[in-house]
Amino acid sequence: MNRLISLLAQAGLWLAAFISVFPFLWMITGATNTANDITGGRFLPGTNLLPNIAKFFELVDAGQVFFNSFFVAITGTALTLIVSSLAGYGFEIFASKTRDRVFAGLLLLLSVPFAAMMIPLFVMFSSAGLINSYIAMIAPGIASIFMIFYFRQNTKSFPHELRDAAKLDGLKEWQIFWFIYIPVMRSTYAAAMIILFMTNWNAYLWPLIVLQTNDMKTITLTVASLATAYTPDYGLIMIANVLATLPTILVFFLLQRRFVEGMLGGVK
Amino acid sequence: MSVTLKSLRKAYGAAEVIKGVDLEITPGEFCVFVGPSGCGKSTLLRMIAGLEEITGGDLVIGGKRMNEVDAAHRGIAMVFQSYALYPHMTVRENMGFALKFAGDNPGTIAKKVDAAAATLGLTKLMDRKPKDLSGGQRQRVAIGRAIVRNPKVFLFDEPLSNLDAELRVHMRIEIARLHQELKTTIIYVTHDQVEAMTLADKIVVLRDGRVEQVGAPLTLYDDPDNIFVAGFIGSPKMNFLKARVQNGQLALVDLPGQTLPLTQSLPEGSEVTVGLRPDIFKRGGTAHLDLTIEIVEQLGAETYAYARAGADIDGQPLTIAVTEGRDLRPGQALKVTFDPARALLFGKDGQRLR
Ligand SMILES: Nc1ncnc2c1ncn2[C@@H]1O[C@H](COP(=O)(O)OP(=O)(O)O)[C@@H](O)[C@H]1O
Ligand SMILES: [Mg+2]
Repeated sequence: MNRLISLLAQAGLWLAAFISVFPFLWMITGATNTANDITGGRFLPGTNLLPNIAKFFELVDAGQVFFNSFFVAITGTALTLIVSSLAGYGFEIFASKTRDRVFAGLLLLLSVPFAAMMIPLFVMFSSAGLINSYIAMIAPGIASIFMIFYFRQNTKSFPHELRDAAKLDGLKEWQIFWFIYIPVMRSTYAAAMIILFMTNWNAYLWPLIVLQTNDMKTITLTVASLATAYTPDYGLIMIANVLATLPTILVFFLLQRRFVEGMLGGVK
Repeated sequence: MSVTLKSLRKAYGAAEVIKGVDLEITPGEFCVFVGPSGCGKSTLLRMIAGLEEITGGDLVIGGKRMNEVDAAHRGIAMVFQSYALYPHMTVRENMGFALKFAGDNPGTIAKKVDAAAATLGLTKLMDRKPKDLSGGQRQRVAIGRAIVRNPKVFLFDEPLSNLDAELRVHMRIEIARLHQELKTTIIYVTHDQVEAMTLADKIVVLRDGRVEQVGAPLTLYDDPDNIFVAGFIGSPKMNFLKARVQNGQLALVDLPGQTLPLTQSLPEGSEVTVGLRPDIFKRGGTAHLDLTIEIVEQLGAETYAYARAGADIDGQPLTIAVTEGRDLRPGQALKVTFDPARALLFGKDGQRLR
């Protein structure tokens, strides 16, 4: 009986794994096939990889596009980490009568959908003359409520006595944050970094609205624009997707161990 | 260096936690704050350290008022209950961190750190991270980190409570030795009265944010000011029996028919509590009690008997500690005798009647 349950569970897990991995595999094999093969339902690797790559670099200013993506993702991630972790630290460390009310107010804002903020945000940035700029892409995400929440929760496991010890050792508050808190919480930062990097890298809706010229576009937008061509070349789209996915995969594998630690909420 | 507290108070909002503490700690003294959990020991220590703001009163260290002085500039160092070692630094870095931050040159730092490490037997562990150390080793690193700063006053907040029993005894002795060597003023917080008795020059018994009594360990043991101190200091605990003065004797309220001689003059009819330390019971002496033994604990050198007064199993429980008690058995009737001068009397308000 137990064996049966275990077998069924195994089968379920395999099915779930297959469903998650299949599109990924298809993307990779698709990158080696022609558009006709793909729409014809071919799943096996083909021979069209090099022509697909060549076409991609012919149509897309890859250097500029990848620079845009990396610049926005890295700067956005770094600034969000600094601002949100400072806020999370502050919320948890400094007792005050109003902090929980302010915090509850912040969490309430999480329920406002982005679609509702899109137009006011656009108007704001356009009256500041910042449309089609990196600032417009990065700024709205920096004070991420979710990240503030995440850092506050994780700060609960940051030992208060470490802060006391650091004070006795002569550190000012910002030095405690910089020299003690950040290194101690590095798993938390790593997990946040992965999530933020992916979010920034894959950002679509807001950049689509706020960016107007091709030289500002990120790889995510570029892939999307390839897909909306009159006769989409699926082989080209797939290779573009592979290239667009590589950096996030790389970041994930580099920080994987810390990511798991961070999600489990460990201070090590 | 001396530490003086003048009606020191601390309130969190409306809740007063430290309710006016006056205390004089002389240079080089080993002073222990002891009291039940939640009585404000840590808060008081953290106020001295500069980690909690002082609501009222004065804190004077070495003749200088320190209320508003930064924690790092009070000339104190603190050892925390959780050790609070920086987990991302090696033992060496942990110990040298404060000096590095104060801008000492690397040569001086290395010399001081190595000296402290040698004193504490840490030399072989200097390049390990805290997570690769045992509890006792972490404790020693925490002490080392404090020593390196060459403080005028050492503060300890329950430093041994995370260690197992054997290690606790060992570290207790090491701390006593350290105090003899360094001759620095130490303020040490514990809820363990054995630690307090064994380490202290002066014990401060706290309850509910107030000082109950200050004195040398044996003074508190022999001559407590009130029931709280009498019950808190000493292990096993002091026995308390309710009594009434009748015909110039103490009639024990819960033990009808049994009386004890009265050794001081009290008005007829007054209600008192008689305190009897478990170790005053001998075979011999002019006062006596009839007991029934319930449980016997043989410790080898000593025997603890948990007994009920009278033949009644619901009678008043009493603890007896005797050195010649290997023959004691549960269920046995026992007549204990003692010197009535060693019974302490407390009034209805809990204060000692002298
Ligand atoms: N930050 C705080 N806010 C409110 N009350 C506190 C705070 N810190 C401690 N207390 C209260 O002060 C009292 C004394 O605490 P503490 O000094 O830690 O006791 P002890 O160390 O003797 O066990 C406790 O009742 C505790 O609840
Ligand atoms: Mg405490």
